[in-house]
Amino acid sequence: MLLDTDSLKPIYVQIAEWLEMEILNGNIASDEKMYSQYQLADMFNVNPATAAKGLNILADEKLLYKKRGLGMFVSSHARAAIRSKRIKRNLNQLVLELVAEAKRLDVGKDDLINMLIAAELQATEEGSQ
Amino acid sequence: MNVVDCSGLTKTFGRATAVNNLSFTLAPNKITGLIGRNGAGKTTLLKIIAGYLLPNAGSIQVFSENPVNNIKVSANMIFVDENMVLPASMNLGEILESSGRFYAHWDHQLAVGLFTYFNLHPGQYHSKLSKGMRSAFNAILGLAARCPLTIFDEPTTGMDAAVRKDFYRALLKDFMLRPRTVILSSHLLNEINDILDDLLLIKDGEKRLHVPINELKEYAVGLQGKEETITEMAGKAEVLHRKRLGKDSVYLAVRNQFAEEELQKARLEGVAISPVVTDDLCMYLTARNKGGIDDVFDRN
Repeated sequence: MLLDTDSLKPIYVQIAEWLEMEILNGNIASDEKMYSQYQLADMFNVNPATAAKGLNILADEKLLYKKRGLGMFVSSHARAAIRSKRIKRNLNQLVLELVAEAKRLDVGKDDLINMLIAAELQATEEGSQ
Repeated sequence: MNVVDCSGLTKTFGRATAVNNLSFTLAPNKITGLIGRNGAGKTTLLKIIAGYLLPNAGSIQVFSENPVNNIKVSANMIFVDENMVLPASMNLGEILESSGRFYAHWDHQLAVGLFTYFNLHPGQYHSKLSKGMRSAFNAILGLAARCPLTIFDEPTTGMDAAVRKDFYRALLKDFMLRPRTVILSSHLLNEINDILDDLLLIKDGEKRLHVPINELKEYAVGLQGKEETITEMAGKAEVLHRKRLGKDSVYLAVRNQFAEEELQKARLEGVAISPVVTDDLCMYLTARNKGGIDDVFDRN
């Protein structure tokens, strides 16, 4: 597992996002045990305190719950919550940047929408192969 | 209880001040990176902590005791650097064997495992090793001794990239098995960044920064764009580094006190916002002028 050291995001945020992806992809189902801070530290080659900080982001958002003596587990609503959070935050963000870049390049609204439709088609095709 | 507690620490050599009024504490079971330029006072500071040097002023407490000629500190501390003095009459195998009798927490299995992994041979002599191999052997002693206070003063001198990487991973893995207080000095922060709890940055013998490593990435931000936009945006924020690009374009590294919305707005106005990688940040924080080496050549 590799971290992006050039990213503006701190390592613990990158770990938190990776954990969210694991839940989103269904690699860790609800009520399944989450990786421990030591497993994460070993996987990412980072200090265990950094790994714990990543886990705590998810715990603070109630995406994980604690079982005393057993560790952290995925909450039942975690997947849905992550999905809606990502739409609100990441997707909106990307669209804003997309629109700004289109403006700078003087690409009109219709052209932009056509590009989106084409990209969507391509993604579907690649997905079905 | 802190493992290391120093206040107002000062050490001079003749007219040169190596350590200047340093105060900080190190909590137990954390890995602290001691970073500074050449001649910043890293080694002097570590030697004072180890009890090898007496400060001219200030106080130093290790395990709540004065470290000089102290049996408790000596028994619970190992100091690893490239000048480690080991008995010349013993070969490496014999040194490993006798280390077990010296260090209470010595892990012989770990020592032998690392010894074999790094391709060392029991019949070799310490003084005949290459620089990199000697560093590797010293590092093995430092890890396997499992001392409650483990000091590595530039442990990777002479090691090749692969060995350095292996050593840092071994340190992290063994630290997780048996937590202890580790001080690791280096001028390559980048390399040790991820495994640290805290960073202690010193410049000219003075403390420049002592922070949890996770706060470092958000400490500064790089802004690039039109000079007036950037200058206005930077406002009163502390400028750490400035570089002129092209005709009216400029790059500034500034203390990051911006809200996410401000950065977002700036991005849409065409300001390129980039992270300041930790190595660069340390360089800026320890630089003597804002333009770095360019200032030497800039005669206008």
